[in-house]
Amino acid sequence: MVFVDLLISTLTQGLIYALLSYGVFITYKILDFPDLTVDGSFPLGAAITAVLLVNGMNPYLVLLVSAAIGALAGLATGFMHVRLGVRDLLAGIITMTALFSINLQIAGSNLAVERAIDTIFTAEPTMALLGSMSLMYRKFIVALVIALLVKILLDLYLKTKNGLLLRAVGDNSTLVTTLAKDKGTMKILGLVIANALVALCGSVVCQEQRAFSSTMGTGQVVFGLATVIIGTTLFRRFGFVKGTTAVLVGSVFYKICIQVAISMGLPANLLKLAMAVLFLAVLVLGDRKKGGAEHA
Amino acid sequence: MKKFLAMALVLAMATLAGCGSSSDEGATEGDSANANANVPVIGISQYGQHASLDNCREGFLLGLEESGLVEGTDYTVDYQNAGFDDNIAMQIAQNFSAKNVALMCAVATPSATACYAAAEDKDIPVIFTAITDPVKAKLDTGNITGTSDKLPVEAQLELIRALQPEAKTIGILYTTSEPNSVAAIEEYKEKGPEFGFTIETIGVTQQAEVLQAADSIIAKGVDCISNLTDNNVVGVLPSILEKTNDANIPVYGSEIEQVKLGCVASAGIDYIALGKQTGEMAAKILKGEATAEEMPYETISSYDTYVNSQALTDLEITVPADIAEKAIEAAN
Repeated sequence: MVFVDLLISTLTQGLIYALLSYGVFITYKILDFPDLTVDGSFPLGAAITAVLLVNGMNPYLVLLVSAAIGALAGLATGFMHVRLGVRDLLAGIITMTALFSINLQIAGSNLAVERAIDTIFTAEPTMALLGSMSLMYRKFIVALVIALLVKILLDLYLKTKNGLLLRAVGDNSTLVTTLAKDKGTMKILGLVIANALVALCGSVVCQEQRAFSSTMGTGQVVFGLATVIIGTTLFRRFGFVKGTTAVLVGSVFYKICIQVAISMGLPANLLKLAMAVLFLAVLVLGDRKKGGAEHA
Repeated sequence: MKKFLAMALVLAMATLAGCGSSSDEGATEGDSANANANVPVIGISQYGQHASLDNCREGFLLGLEESGLVEGTDYTVDYQNAGFDDNIAMQIAQNFSAKNVALMCAVATPSATACYAAAEDKDIPVIFTAITDPVKAKLDTGNITGTSDKLPVEAQLELIRALQPEAKTIGILYTTSEPNSVAAIEEYKEKGPEFGFTIETIGVTQQAEVLQAADSIIAKGVDCISNLTDNNVVGVLPSILEKTNDANIPVYGSEIEQVKLGCVASAGIDYIALGKQTGEMAAKILKGEATAEEMPYETISSYDTYVNSQALTDLEITVPADIAEKAIEAAN
């Protein structure tokens, strides 16, 4: 039972954080844009969620509002980079820094959501469908549904004409220009979608933990990049596996590794080192499978 | 597609199986004892390693012992520390919940929040320590209780008044995003006038700004500085003390470690005692004498006065005899 419980709650974490990985996948993998906004847009989603939940808004609606406001953060970074000519890394850093203050302005300070308040895991449509399950399984199913739903929507979008243009921005931006489209606008659009997803992730995490803390965004970019790279490297040989699927697995894999380390009693001070070693191992092994270090 | 999903799952299973078995190994004693005598496991989740938090944990274990419980026969401990990472704190809490521990002990707010969320499903009692404001953190109702490390602001003001009868203004540096600091500042501003002080504060957003803020507050001509448990400020305390010593302004600490660093004195929390108080509460829960649900959270009942004689002499401050008698020398 210990094993099953541990597996379910770890998978739940991986599925929830996959939303963030999708976002980083769009900026890093598709747009080739190292977007540091994530460390700010993740807690932004959580801050908005905490405030709106405390004020009695429907938790599902809260998800959408958080994503919409997260999109604005992406818009800010994109605008700075594309229209004001600020370098990509710096644009992200500026938005992230500003968001630290903005998040605290939104939430006042660290904010907790008491148990009496319903979240997506305890509110009505969920309870009617899954009410007989224990909370742990309910969280798992809800996280699974959200992670898959967002993945499918994203896959569908990437197949549309607009989605194909977005993919072209990172791979072959001249093509976009040839098609008489503004690649800057496409970049901004990509950042908007990515940060909406990241804020959505922040919102789900806040609903699951029932708390917003101003420091919860620290290190999320690194997590996102790690999951994207682990995911895409693991599936490099299998060209037909979608990028979104790969990063979903990457996220779950990452959370499992952490849980393994915790279960083994690895001291927290060594945890990051262990993750770094694992990260390197996946990169090196992934490349070897393909028969060379051409991507290194 | 299906194939790969299956593959991924197998991978997940395999790795977790590895973890499952190794955790079994790690907990062999606990598990076999569990089977024999049902020894309850206490999961301790500490937010990070830090002198005060370590003291809390040590005190907690002392408190359990002093309540007559024996490690190994009455309980076993599963200690984890999150390295100041909220996400790891969450996974530690889920680990405890999956193992169905008898009690979770959370040291510091982020760990307590994570434990409380993970314990919801199984209604595992959570006991916390080193939390400034459990009410604000919504950790005051439900199957949860513990101890708060709220700063003894009034005792500190009284101490400053006794050591500097002529002082008019107290300067305080703090980080605007630290809820504990903001709450303490509010209390200082509210109670300061009762002791005849005006409070001058300067807020910073990160550690790099603290020394500049220290220069500004010295320039404002405060009579002394009172230091909170603000992590950013405490981190550069030695450099602040260099500046204040040059300007001949005494700095009061908020706990013994700061007085050791060179603050003149402090009415402070003894984190070992705080942890002990928490351990005693946990023992009551384990013995079945009380539940976390019905026990209200406690604040520390007694504060100690710590002094640094060298710093006091340097700044020519004399300690009144009644205080000197009870004060504990922190410097050596």
